[in-house]
Amino acid sequence: MFNLAFDNFNEILYMDGHGIYVWSVYLIGISIIFLSFLIAKKRIVDIQKKINTKNASS
Amino acid sequence: MITAFIHQFSSAKSFVNITEKLYPFFLIVGVSMLILGWTWGLLFAPQDAVQGNSYRIIFLHVPSVIFAELIYFFMAVCALMHLVWRVKLAAYLIKSAAPIGAMITFIGLLSGSIWGIPTWGTWWQWDARITSTLILFIMYLGILTLHGSFSNLEKADRLMSILVVIGVVNIPIIKKSVDWWSTLHQPASISVSGGSSIDPSMLYPLLISVIGLGFTLIALGILSSRSYIFTREKNKKWILEHV
Amino acid sequence: MLRLVKAESFKLSKKLKSWLGPLLIMVLVLIAFPLSIDISQFDLDKFYFSIIVVSLLMTSFVATEGMFEEDFEDGSLEQEFLIEKDFYKLVLSKIFVYVCLIGIPIAFIGALFSFANGVAIGSFASVFLLLSLSNLLLFNLFAFGNALSINKGAMLGVLSSLPLALPVIILLGTAVRSIQFGDDFEAIITLMTGIGLLMSAIMPLIISAALKTHID
Repeated sequence: MFNLAFDNFNEILYMDGHGIYVWSVYLIGISIIFLSFLIAKKRIVDIQKKINTKNASS
Repeated sequence: MITAFIHQFSSAKSFVNITEKLYPFFLIVGVSMLILGWTWGLLFAPQDAVQGNSYRIIFLHVPSVIFAELIYFFMAVCALMHLVWRVKLAAYLIKSAAPIGAMITFIGLLSGSIWGIPTWGTWWQWDARITSTLILFIMYLGILTLHGSFSNLEKADRLMSILVVIGVVNIPIIKKSVDWWSTLHQPASISVSGGSSIDPSMLYPLLISVIGLGFTLIALGILSSRSYIFTREKNKKWILEHV
Repeated sequence: MLRLVKAESFKLSKKLKSWLGPLLIMVLVLIAFPLSIDISQFDLDKFYFSIIVVSLLMTSFVATEGMFEEDFEDGSLEQEFLIEKDFYKLVLSKIFVYVCLIGIPIAFIGALFSFANGVAIGSFASVFLLLSLSNLLLFNLFAFGNALSINKGAMLGVLSSLPLALPVIILLGTAVRSIQFGDDFEAIITLMTGIGLLMSAIMPLIISAALKTHID
């Protein structure tokens, strides 16, 4: 169960010709999820700044 | 009495306080389980006899379509709470869960499409489950547009909740009707009632990545709900503790 | 109730654009489609019914657009709320009037065209009944979309209510299939009658809840 399914690194990338599909799916998926984390973080920082400036001015 | 109970535990303030503490736990557990599940699935799980290596997309595809639906059901529960008990927090949660749901549905559709190229030889099929997922995606977009088009936010919350509740009634109808209409997809590989048709060496990494993606999405939901709660309650005093 | 039906039908018949427009669109689409394909290569009777289904969807969407908008803007919605405290009767009679004045004529046109193009179905009456029932369902659903998006334009209406209407289209799609195989589709008509009755009873409740949100 815990043996590597591939012999070498090239095979991992190539995956009998299916590598491009598999790796592009993971690349896109991970980058979308990562991007949404970044956006959410940025939104929090933005709104905190907004509240801070509002309180400083009032 | 039940109303008082719900209101006490559903204030935005206590929600933010509790989730702030839970956030690192969900993020760390979720991401590490994803890394474990995906490494196991991509590198160690054996090749599929029929589909070759392209089946390895399953470790992203299946978790994302599972959560595409689960997030909608979560939103429907929140919508009922908002309509019945007027819980404001529930509406905030719907609004912050909807973009995440749309995102994960999109990932599910996209990964399915790419998976279809080597397996079915086509990136799109008018198959029952793909079609109902596409409709689900449109429903997420509809909810977001509906909420975005009203300047009176309380009104937007109520209308959005009504749409979400109607939508959740509609989901099984859509599923049944498209099933009836045409189906080409492989039947679900894992069933709750035992007897799954998938080898343990592929099943375990799949389950791990499902749970991992779930925790990661909860962490993302905590972040996005926090920013939305801050936006909505920016005039409240308790906010000042968090800025 | 009778007062509302009278008032609604008077209002709708005054707005020539609202009820004649959809009928003309239906006719135009049904004429334009055969012109846009190579008629010698396709069997029109095999899939002409699908075009009728799609144009039914489009025209019923156009017909219901702005169903509550005018009432909302000239204040008669609020007035109605003060009299009845609820919109159930108003919505019920509005949908009834719309189905009678627009939906049934559209269904008639559709049945006429399918008959004229030799769609292989038993009788004119059964196609007419099928299309009228699906118009009843579609008008209920689009009325809901309109109540949500009241004066915010068509895009929102499409996004919020089109997913709800898709099962109806699929139901009609199964009717197309049974047409192709020459089966009768009494079962589908029975099913649609059931859904139609249920929906006509329940949808006005939901729609009036949505309308109340706009009022207060």
